[in-house]
Amino acid sequence: MNEPIVSLRNVTKRIGRKTIIDNVSFDVPKGEIFGFLGPNGAGKTTTIRMMVGLMSITEGTITIQGKNIAREFEQAIRHVGGIVENPEMYKFLSGYHNLVHYARMVPGVTKDRIREVVELVKLEDRIHDKVKKYSLGMRQRLGVAQALLHRPSLLILDEPTNGLDPAGIRELRDYLRYLTREEGITVIVSSHLLSEMELMCDRVAIMMRGRIIDVKRIGELIGTNDDAQTYLIEASPSELAIAAVREIAGAIAVKPVQNGIEVTTDRDRIPDILAHLIRMEVRIYGVTPLRQSLEDRFLEITGGERVG
Amino acid sequence: MVNLIRNENMKLYRRWRTWIMAALMIGAVLIGSFVDWHYDNKDAGADDWKTQITQEKQHWKEMIADPKTEEGSKNYAKDQLAIGEYRLAHDIRPESDTMWSGINGSAQLIMLITLFTVIVAGDSLAGEFSTGTIKLLLIRPASRLKILLSKYISMILFGLLLLIVLFVVSLLTNGLLYHFKQLDLPLVSVDSAGNAIELSMLGNLWKSYMLNGVSTILFVTLAFMISSAFRSSAMAIGISIFALFAGAIIMELTQPYAWSKYMLFANLDLSQYLNGRPYQDGMTMTFSILVLAAYFILFNFVSWFFFTRRDVAA
Ligand SMILES: Nc1ncnc2c1ncn2[C@@H]1O[C@H](COP(=O)(O)OP(=O)(O)O)[C@@H](O)[C@H]1O
Ligand SMILES: [Mg+2]
Repeated sequence: MNEPIVSLRNVTKRIGRKTIIDNVSFDVPKGEIFGFLGPNGAGKTTTIRMMVGLMSITEGTITIQGKNIAREFEQAIRHVGGIVENPEMYKFLSGYHNLVHYARMVPGVTKDRIREVVELVKLEDRIHDKVKKYSLGMRQRLGVAQALLHRPSLLILDEPTNGLDPAGIRELRDYLRYLTREEGITVIVSSHLLSEMELMCDRVAIMMRGRIIDVKRIGELIGTNDDAQTYLIEASPSELAIAAVREIAGAIAVKPVQNGIEVTTDRDRIPDILAHLIRMEVRIYGVTPLRQSLEDRFLEITGGERVG
Repeated sequence: MVNLIRNENMKLYRRWRTWIMAALMIGAVLIGSFVDWHYDNKDAGADDWKTQITQEKQHWKEMIADPKTEEGSKNYAKDQLAIGEYRLAHDIRPESDTMWSGINGSAQLIMLITLFTVIVAGDSLAGEFSTGTIKLLLIRPASRLKILLSKYISMILFGLLLLIVLFVVSLLTNGLLYHFKQLDLPLVSVDSAGNAIELSMLGNLWKSYMLNGVSTILFVTLAFMISSAFRSSAMAIGISIFALFAGAIIMELTQPYAWSKYMLFANLDLSQYLNGRPYQDGMTMTFSILVLAAYFILFNFVSWFFFTRRDVAA
């Protein structure tokens, strides 16, 4: 049986009278990229802080590779590399000296290993510059480098895409994939953006108000082909287009927008709708499926409970 | 543990701030020594001091003979007389107008070392919280106690480094100014029985360094405690420096009260037992050491307690 790398059992965090994390449990098996999805203030960072021992756990247990993070901190944390919120490093040191600093804290990290991770995050050219001269993206990459230095078996990244452009996000996804596949690393990432989670994760836990509402494979979460979805149809004149769509059964909702109309319908109905629009001499410039916002998804999953 | 200390040292010595402090201290030694040298009586003949001491002896004798002289002053005059006679008998000149006057004067700058070390110490721990670097520091296989200890040790080492710089620079500067004449001049003092004795000038210098170092260590410990409890560099540095300067005033104000002998400030200056009278009657070196040890343990316990227990939510 494959032991989970990380296991949370009934984890609760209370600060004062406020329950910030409420009875959270989940397991992450080896090699998975596991996502923590939730709006700001949901409790993602707090959960991660407890997982890395920065915060005490009010109730419940967290184990990493079978070691209890609260009671066997040093053995448990040895397997973990991470970024919690922003990757704050020593600005007055160079990127390289920052890495030397963290390398010294774990036995067995050699100079070669430092060079290796620097290459992996593509910072070779700037590694000897002071961190204060780095862009946010470069700091994020240096953050990933320090997290990987000691070859952790679990990588925990809190909002790693903050400050990354789409190319940076793709790059991050690629080396997360590479790490899980080639080195068997397990990854936990958090984000408040569904679109990013969808790019990176195998499985996602949806967190709201300190509770895990659902844990789903990414495919289940995004919705299958026959789910109703909203499409933007760029068309004119839009009044005619709306009238035409209303004539056709199957469109759940339709409304005018700036450069056309938005139609919510099953994917199967799209060809018919388009055919009808063309028959009615509506000019069509493009059709784009609109991704459901995380907010919408939450409303759906939580039965209309407002976020935040 | 050694690696953790190396890390702390790296973070300390790869900052301009640290070297500016060292430069300021060297500057202060240089200026102090030059001023001291400049106002020397350079016309004095090699044996002029003998005439002066002979005159002073007369003055001390009159003081001792005068029935109006207080007991304390009388004892002081007796000591001075004994020293003067010893000097004349053994041909040992006083330190004034020699390299030792500048060196001993520079020892006052230990106050500056305390100040700098407190600033660095206040920032060492609290700074990691305010910049957020504490998170990446604590998610490593090193216990919080070890992290705290390594910071503490690196601060003590920094103080020691400044002390050595102070010693070397003041010795060299004054040595060069006076062409290293009187390098082997002994210190003449009196023992508890009032007999004049010869002591090593260097030995005495280091003794006063070390006694002052005790207060540096306690202020650093205080700065650490405040850092750990409040996680604010400004507060740690502010309160510690305030304590450093307000100590004398507070001592002055509270002297009438017997409990004031248990105050930190009243016991910090251990040299009060070597020359002169203690802050309050009945205080002894042992008493002060015990009181200081109690504060030391208390401060460290509070630092440890807050640092190892509190959540890191920065
Ligand atoms: N130290 C703290 N004291 C009190 N409340 C806190 C503390 N830290 C976080 N919270 C609260 O806990 C909730 C979760 O915060 P957080 O874990 O940062 O959310 P996320 O990372 O998902 O945005 C928020 O409502 C926040 O206000
Ligand atoms: Mg967060």
